[in-house]
Order: sequence, then C-alpha cells, then structure tokens
Amino acid sequence: MAKQTQSKMSRALQRRENIAGYVFMLPSLVFFLGFVIIPMFICIITSLTNTNMHDPGLFGGFIGLKNFADLANDKVFLKGLVNTFVIVLVSVPAVCAFSLWVSSAIYKLKGPILSAFRCIFYLPVVTGSVAVTVVWKWMYDNYTGILNSALTSTGILEKGINWLGDPKTALWCIIVILFTTSVGQPIVLYVSALGNVDQTLVEAAQVDGATDLQVFWKIKWAQMMPTTLYILVITTINSFQCFALIQLLTQGGPNHATDTVMYYIYYTAFKLTEQAGHFGYANAMGVVLAIFIGALSALQFKLAKEK
Amino acid sequence: MKKKLLALLLAMTMVMALVACGGNGNQKGNNNQNTEPPKQEDNTQTPEPAPAPTGASEITLWTYPIGKWGDEATVKALTDAFTAETGIAVKVDYLAYADGDDKVNTALTAGGAPDLIMEGPERLVANWGANGHMVDLSDMFDDTDMAEINAVNEGVMKSCTHTNGAIYEYPLVMTAHCMAVNLNAFKEAGADQYLDLDTHTWTTDDFIKAVEALYAKYGQTVGAVFCAGQGGDQGTRALVNNLYGGTFTNAEHTAYTWDDPLNVKALEQLKAMDGIEFDASLAGGDEIAKFYQGALKMAFCWNIAQQMDPNGAGTGAEKTVTGDDIAFMSFPSEDGSSKLQGGTWGFGIFDNGDEARIEAAKQFIKFMCDSEHTVDAVKAASYFAVRTTAEGTDLSNIWADEPIMAEYTKLMPYLGDYYQVTTGWAAARTAWWNMLQAVGTGDDVAAAVAAGAAEANAAAAG
Amino acid sequence: MKIENPRSRAYKIVSMIILVILAILFLFPLYWIITGAFKPAADIYAQEPVLWPTEWVSKNFENLFNKRTAPLFSIFGIEGPTAPAAFRWLINTVFMSVASMLLTCLTAAMAGYALAKKRFVGRAILFSLIVCAMALPKQVILIPLLKEMAALKLYDSLWAVIFPTVGWPFGVFLMKQFSESIPGEILEATRIDGASEAKTFVTVVLPMVKPGIGALAIFTFINCWNDYFMQLVMLPSGQNFTMPLGIATLQAETSVDMGLLMAGAALAALPIIAVFLLFQKYFTQGITMGAVKG
Repeated sequence: MAKQTQSKMSRALQRRENIAGYVFMLPSLVFFLGFVIIPMFICIITSLTNTNMHDPGLFGGFIGLKNFADLANDKVFLKGLVNTFVIVLVSVPAVCAFSLWVSSAIYKLKGPILSAFRCIFYLPVVTGSVAVTVVWKWMYDNYTGILNSALTSTGILEKGINWLGDPKTALWCIIVILFTTSVGQPIVLYVSALGNVDQTLVEAAQVDGATDLQVFWKIKWAQMMPTTLYILVITTINSFQCFALIQLLTQGGPNHATDTVMYYIYYTAFKLTEQAGHFGYANAMGVVLAIFIGALSALQFKLAKEK
Repeated sequence: MKKKLLALLLAMTMVMALVACGGNGNQKGNNNQNTEPPKQEDNTQTPEPAPAPTGASEITLWTYPIGKWGDEATVKALTDAFTAETGIAVKVDYLAYADGDDKVNTALTAGGAPDLIMEGPERLVANWGANGHMVDLSDMFDDTDMAEINAVNEGVMKSCTHTNGAIYEYPLVMTAHCMAVNLNAFKEAGADQYLDLDTHTWTTDDFIKAVEALYAKYGQTVGAVFCAGQGGDQGTRALVNNLYGGTFTNAEHTAYTWDDPLNVKALEQLKAMDGIEFDASLAGGDEIAKFYQGALKMAFCWNIAQQMDPNGAGTGAEKTVTGDDIAFMSFPSEDGSSKLQGGTWGFGIFDNGDEARIEAAKQFIKFMCDSEHTVDAVKAASYFAVRTTAEGTDLSNIWADEPIMAEYTKLMPYLGDYYQVTTGWAAARTAWWNMLQAVGTGDDVAAAVAAGAAEANAAAAG
Repeated sequence: MKIENPRSRAYKIVSMIILVILAILFLFPLYWIITGAFKPAADIYAQEPVLWPTEWVSKNFENLFNKRTAPLFSIFGIEGPTAPAAFRWLINTVFMSVASMLLTCLTAAMAGYALAKKRFVGRAILFSLIVCAMALPKQVILIPLLKEMAALKLYDSLWAVIFPTVGWPFGVFLMKQFSESIPGEILEATRIDGASEAKTFVTVVLPMVKPGIGALAIFTFINCWNDYFMQLVMLPSGQNFTMPLGIATLQAETSVDMGLLMAGAALAALPIIAVFLLFQKYFTQGITMGAVKG
C-alpha cells in the first residue's frame, strides 16, 4: 500500500519534472530542432539522393550510397578532409600551448601591464575575422606586401615568397591567421585560472622542495584541467569556422592546397562549376564531416569525464 | 517513449508556428523580394495559371561590374530615366566576379533570384539558360533587330542563342580583350623596339625578346600568368592559344581541344621564361592592380574599359598610378595576327514565374538595348555597341569624339571565335585555371594539360 | 620575499622580450588597417610598403561612403533617408548581433537550468544531441537551411542569420554546466515556500547563473559580429548586408583599392574595439567566470 502511494507520488513528481523540464527547454528546442536538427535530418536524407539545384523539390531520386562511394574516389574531397584535420590538429594544440605559455609569463605582472598584454592578444578577436583577413591578404601580397618587403630588405630571404600562391605555404598562412584570432580568449581564461590556483597547495609543495616546473605540472596544471577542457572545446569549434579565410584568401587553391571540407561543400553547392548545385553530393560531404566531428566531440567528452 | 515523441512533435509545431509569425512580421520591411511566388520550373511542373499581367511596379536587377555598370551613380541615372518613363522602379544590386556567381546560385536555390541580370553568354546562356532558369527572349527580336546586330558582328547573336534555339541574352555591348604593356618600363629596358604601336600587334619572338630585356633590366617577375580563380581567365587562354596557334575548342563547339600540342608548347615556353610567373595568388583583377601599380610590366587581362580608366581608379586614361604610359597590345602570335577573345554583355531575365514582372523586365531591356537611351547604356559600359542603330538612333559613331576608342577599333577585326558557349563551359574554365596552378607548382605540363582537357571534355559530353 | 636565482631571472627577461615582440606582431595588422585607411593613394599603391602615411587623408572614407548608398533603416516598410550603405551595414550588424545575443541568452539560460536540474524524460538524449551538434560547422546544414529559410520567407532578412545562431547549442551546453552549481537545497527550499517554477527561475536561478550569462553574451556577440558565412549565403541584397559582408564584397569588387578596403575594415573594427576597451573589465570577467565552471 505504502509502496503504491510512493510510486504514484513519484509518478506525479516525474510528470511535474517532465512538464517543467520541457517548458523550460521549449524556447531553446524550437531553435535547436528547427534550425539544426531538422536541417541535419534533411541533409542526411538528401545525401542518399541525386537532388540538385536545377530540379524543383526538396528531394531528388534515391540513389543509395552512390554519393558516398563517389566521395571516396574524389581526390579533391579527400585532400580537403586531410586539410581540415591538419588545420584542427595543428591549431588546437598550438593555441592551447601558446596561450598557456603566454599566460604563465604574464599572470604575475602588475595590473596595467597584465591587462595591456591581455588586451593586445585579444584584439584580433574583436577586430573581426573578415577585417583581419583582408589586411592579412595585403600583408601576404607577393609583390607589394609588407611581409616579403620586410624579409627581403633585412636579408632573411633573397627573393620574396608567394605566400598564398605557393601550395607549400598557403595552408600555413591560413593557420597563422586562424591562430592569431584564436588565442585571445584562452589567454584570458588561463590568466584567471592561474590566478585562482590554490596558493596553500603551491606553498606546501614549495616547502617540500618542489621545483617551479614540478609545482606547475603537478599542482597548477591539475587544477586548471577544467579550463583546459573548455579551451579545447571552444578552439576546436573555432577551427572549424575558418570558411571566411579560405573564401577570401585562396578559394581553396593553389592546386587545392587549402581546400577544406567546409569550403568544398559550399563550392560544390553554389560555385558556378559544372557540378554546381549538386546538392545530394554536397550533403553527403556534410554527413561525412558531421560523423567525424561527432566522433571528435565524443572523444573530447570522454576525456573530460576521465579527468 | 511516447511522451518523448509527443514532446518532440509539439516542439516542432511550435517552431513552425513561431517562425511563420516571424516571417510575416518581417516581410513588410523586406521590399517585395520575398513576396514573389516561389519559382516554378517550366519544364518539369505544370505552371500555375500566371497572374494577369497587371504591370509590376518594381523589378530587381543584379549587375556585374561591366564598365561603369558597377558604379552606383551611373546606373542610378540610367534606371531613373527608365522609372521616369515607365513608372517601374528598379532595385539594383551589384555583384562582384569573385562571389557573384555563388550569390546568383544561392538565390536561385532560395527562389529569390532577381528579375534581370547583366552579364555575358558564358553565364546567361551556357549555364543558367541551359539549366532552365532563364526566359527565352526570342520574341524580342524582329528582322530589323537581327539585321542591325548582324551588321556589326555575326557572332554576337550566335553567342546569345542556346543550341535549343532559345535566346537567353539580349546583347548590349561587346569588345575584344587584349593585353597591355607599361610603355615607360619597356622603353627603359629597351624593349619597346619589339612593339608595333601603330598596329598594336607583335609576334611571339618579339614577346620573348621583350620579356628577356625586361627581366634583364628589372630582375623580377614582369608578367604573371594569373590563376587564383576564373576571374579574367580569357586573358590567360588568349595568351596560351595565340603564342603558337593552339585552339581551345573545335570549330563546332562540341569538344575542348586545349590538349593541343601547340598549347603544351606555349605553356612550356611560358614556364621556362624568367620574368613570367604562374601566380596562383592572383586573379585577373589583382593582376590589373599589380600592373597599374607598376609591379608588373604587362597585363594579360585588359580591354578598352581598362584603357580608358586603368584599374577603375579614376586617375586618367592610359596611365598607371605613377603616370607611366600604358599601351594596349594584341596578344603575341607567330605571324602577329592573333585571334582575340570577344566579350559580349547584355541582359537576361530569370524566370520567376510572374508574367507581370517578366513583362516589366522586357520593357527594361528594350529601353536599355534598343531605344534612344541605348547610347547612354552603351557609354556607361565603355565598350562598343553591338548594333548599328537602335530604333533610328545611329550608334556607329558614338565614340567618334573619343580618340582612344577610335584607336582601339584597330583591334576589333582580330575578334576570334566566341567559344565560351560550348557545353560544359563552367567545368572547362575551372579545369583550365586548375591546370595553370598545377603547371605553376611544377607538374608535368603535358600531363596536367591532358588531365584538365579530359575533365573539360567529360563535362562537354554531358 | 624570495631571492630569485639568476637562471629564472634570465628566463624572465628572455620571455619578456619574446612577449613584447609577439605583442607587436599581434598589434601590427590593426596598425596596418588604421594607417592604411588614412593613407593617400600614392602610399597605398607604392611598390615598397609605406610604414607611416606620408599624409593623413580622409579620401578612403569618402570613397567608401560614396560608393554605395542604402536607406538608413527599413522597418515595416518604412524606409529611412538614403545614407552611405556602410552605416546601414553597421546598423544591421549591431541589430543582428544584439538580437542573437538576447535570444541566445534567454533560451540557453532556461534550457541549461532544465537540463541541469530537471530530471525529465529524454534529458540524456537531448544532452548528447547538444554535445554532438556543438562543433558542427554551418556548412554541413547549409543547403537544407537555405531551403528552409526560403520556405519560411526569411531569405534575405537578418532573421535568417539570427535564428540559426540562436539554435546553435553551445549556449545551452555552457549554461547547463553553469547551472549544475546551483545548490539543490536552495531550489528545494523555494519550492517548499510555494514559489512557482517561473518565480524560482527568475528570483533564484537567474541571479546565480548571471556570470555564465555574461560569458555567453560576450561569446555570442563576438561570434555573430565575426560571422561571415551565414550572412554570405542568406543576405543577397546590398541593403541587408552586414559589415563583414560589406567589406568582403568590396574586396571581391576591387581587390585593388586597399585604402578603401582598410577604411571599411577600420569602420567594422573600431566600434567593437572601442566597446571592448571601455568594458574590458566586464569582458574578461565575463569570459573567465563562465569558464571556471567549464
């Protein structure tokens, strides 16, 4: 009897939680489902069809996994996939390491100097990616850019490098810009995290004769783990948003050296090429990319749980 | 499980409801771009009964920067005149070559394409027309129109007509594309002896010697085979084809022939030359800028509009920014008589399924291309008219008081075949600049050319 | 105080020098934008870069303002006076960023609280969906989204950019992490006091997650201000352009007139830099407070 009442009560309670939960979720769900999940479903379905721009209707004819089979043989796509991961795998650790170093070098400085440094490293973030890209394009310029001019006039280089026109350098040029616009927030975060490290632990360790390096890794680094994870997440997200750089600087060239999957989707969908408007194919790329990113996120969160 | 589904469903309905409200509220502020009915594809669906043509009060025009048709003040004067006469307002947006095509394709996908678009047959006919997005304008041409246009050049109407017989572009202006040299630099390097400034022609040998002289003098890149994208690619095509007489397509426009050994020879020659660089960081517009700036001593992307106003900078005709003289030249070829690439520009109408707007758009085309106002429309483009007379107004002498334009007509007889309407054009030109990039990065020329041409021909075969 | 050993002293000096060099390198693009915006044509086109303008001119801004015009605003069909399009772009960008920021903060605060504190059915599935979708680039759903916006008649309106930004689940994730720290006893106490769910949220939850909202607001605003892709796809008409789109289009049209481009870039960058410098303290506080709970 008592048990029954309890289960009834808990069912009532559960209903209350359900209603309250969904009422609070609702506004967010509207946007999330409407503009992320539903399009994602449509994307998955169209990836199995030959939908294209020139035929009306949301879906074209069903062609099974043909798009995916074609992708596996599409050299440009595979190159793009590699480039995408090069960008992410280089820029994420680089940003983390660099911002950690800068923060540890500046967090003990006097107030105004500290905030000046913090400001300077944060400025490229607020300047805006398009404005930054436009000015970097000018700086990288093969003929009249300041970079070549500075390097040749100081004798470091004999002849200017065609930064964006050479497949050996183009991708790195893009990573550099991405890097400068990504480190601002991690530095701010690390500076404050370092400031919040429990001093009693640090002092105790020092009394025990630990070196600075030991103190740093054993105590400070461990305490900053949550911050690091947060930084990893936002930097990864950031690195996938490098579309503007590629569209405005290289359009995927030279010789596909800077093609990323994100750019190639747009290229396939809307650039005026013969395969333009090949939506089914473009969506198949989206699905492949989404699978990779999903796996990456899952990995990150598994690591986060194991901390 | 059921509950979850229910909640999800509920949420979805809410999305739709909320968003629909938002849409309606917003629509008003949005000019009537959004009130157009969704686009109907005429060939696949039975079109809904078209609304009676009550006369549209506003049409939209997207224009690429063709001469001063990219300049707001100039275009506004022209559209204002049209509005004054017809009462139809024209909302103009300006496209750039770098991302204009993407915008049109996006708009076509979203059913928000403009009524009118101004560009050349390579886009209007070979792409959007061929894919069924454009209105056939055949009914706008009578025998007089045809005669007036054919009297100037028989190729123009051919290029505006699709193989299915439909005319997707009403031509307004045309020109021949050429190249340009920095005369002061040539003189300094003693290379001006290779230029015939009277006929504006030179031979391949002249060109090679001139580049050698320039490189000896300046020790840096003097000319760039630009290949960052498709912008200005007619220049690189004309350069490579003319050098040893190679071709780009066959005469019937059914296949791409740029794996011609003569083209391979030309590319190998260019690649081997000191002073000529395959530059994948430049597109046509960038090359013009570098030339205007004096960094490059020759530009392969040039035409009369550039000659009149180099770099669109408004610093005076035939002068670089530092005041050096610019001479326009035909592309070098073995005997000096080159085949120049032509450009034809005009208007096309996107089929938005609204008869009234199509009618208004046709009125606009008539006003600009075949009326007493055509003179202004042509002059705005700073090219040559495609017809002799427009409804009685003589167009053959509109540039008579402009000596540079008169001098430029010397090049017009060299106008070659307009092959940009060959099937698979978009793929072919993409393959072309990708091939140039590959050659520039050191790939084997013959192999890169063969691969590119094969890609183009695959597209031509459909 | 401790006496530092010479080695760590040397390290400090070296790292300070490197830092200063880095700082100069980081500042240089901004310096180049600002000086470039005021350089005369001769400096802009000079073959050797000119480090300091030989003369400060406003010509580039005049060119920018004269190049395109647009109505200053248009609300419910009423159009404002014709003005340089750059001002309209600025207004559009501010509107878009603020609207996205407000909507995101509101929806994410509610959802984050629900995910953290309400044990409703389907919560786990929703949360994993959110985590997976967080890093998803917009290009993946580009085409369906475009068609959806067209069907909703939102294509070519700023809402087509705002709504997907709000739908992006990073905010919910952040607020969920943040709401975890709200002590259950306090919520229980308010419930026993008979407060409604809405009242609990407004009077108890919101004040406690305020720092998180601050962080999210800054993050969303800056992201929106910097976004370019969605704007490129969704906003074709010149009068609906945003600042990034406007500059990108200028670059596409004339990749040449660097003075004009730098004027545009300066106009886009300086307002937000000014805001940043003024509210720097809140910026850094907001960012860090959000992450302490990361």
